[in-house]
Amino acid sequence: MTEAARFSSGASAQAALHRGRHTETVVLFIVANQMFAVAADSVHEIRSTDSIAGAAHEIEHPEVPKVRHTIERSGRTYYVVNAGMHFGLPVTRPSLVMILRQFRAALLVDRIDRMAEISRVHPLPHAFAGDERRWYRGLAYLDDSVIPVVAPRGFLTPREFQELDGVQREAAVQA
Amino acid sequence: MSSVGILGEAARENSFVLLQIGHKRVALSAAQVAELAPPVRLHAFPHRTPLLAGVIVRRGRIVPVIDTEPVLGGKSPLSHRFYLIANRQVGGVNELAAIPVNGECELANGEMQPPAMDRPAYVAGTLAVGEDSLDVLNLDAFSTAKAGAEASR
Repeated sequence: MTEAARFSSGASAQAALHRGRHTETVVLFIVANQMFAVAADSVHEIRSTDSIAGAAHEIEHPEVPKVRHTIERSGRTYYVVNAGMHFGLPVTRPSLVMILRQFRAALLVDRIDRMAEISRVHPLPHAFAGDERRWYRGLAYLDDSVIPVVAPRGFLTPREFQELDGVQREAAVQA
Repeated sequence: MSSVGILGEAARENSFVLLQIGHKRVALSAAQVAELAPPVRLHAFPHRTPLLAGVIVRRGRIVPVIDTEPVLGGKSPLSHRFYLIANRQVGGVNELAAIPVNGECELANGEMQPPAMDRPAYVAGTLAVGEDSLDVLNLDAFSTAKAGAEASR
């Protein structure tokens, strides 16, 4: 079993198990030295960028510069979002692609730190009033650190999906 | 409410905490102040809200930290000695917020005067303390303050 596949099936089972105990399994990942958490059961698989390079196709839309590639997985097209650009972080060389489960999006990240259990996702204080309200489900307090828990739905807005789908359709017609 | 309670309320309304933020001395209504906290770790993460430095954890609660530097000037909030934690209204919700303060805090009594017409929204009024006239902060309006508005004055 590949590491990615093991992660995919094991994480879901573990997450389901721990939900009964009011904890949640998250994947802690790093982008430009900033740690984020994502619910483990919202991640389908994690691959190295090298391993999927051959399966990636270029895409370009001036209004969605954080997406430069698509990948095909299980008959679906996933838009690959550069997490650093999404969060406005310094440019890095991401080495992993995190493919999300419920959305046609994958995430370029620098590295996975570890998996962890969190007992609570604190709501984002109302003082935070910008795009971060869409980016994050809330904040987790883990090992004396406050870690934003990302909302998978927040990586691409419905409008951005529409724009990218339009580019895809045009490319298909031209092909 | 008893007469003692009413008197206490009135006294609190006229009580202010005087703070040193950067190089500027300002006042805040004592009624808003929750506590003075030690300089615990500031947790920063990407966001797009101006004038927020990050969050601190205090008594199990996650408290946003206001970045006063762009508005009031002074040193970086990282050089502060305490956090003053106060209540404020954000989007109709009462919420705690922390202000990095780098000097002594003291209590003063007085009657707040309305602000001059040209004062920014985050100035609720002025308070005469000795020969000084201090701005009384309106934390509720702080999030809409323009960075650099006061720092350049």
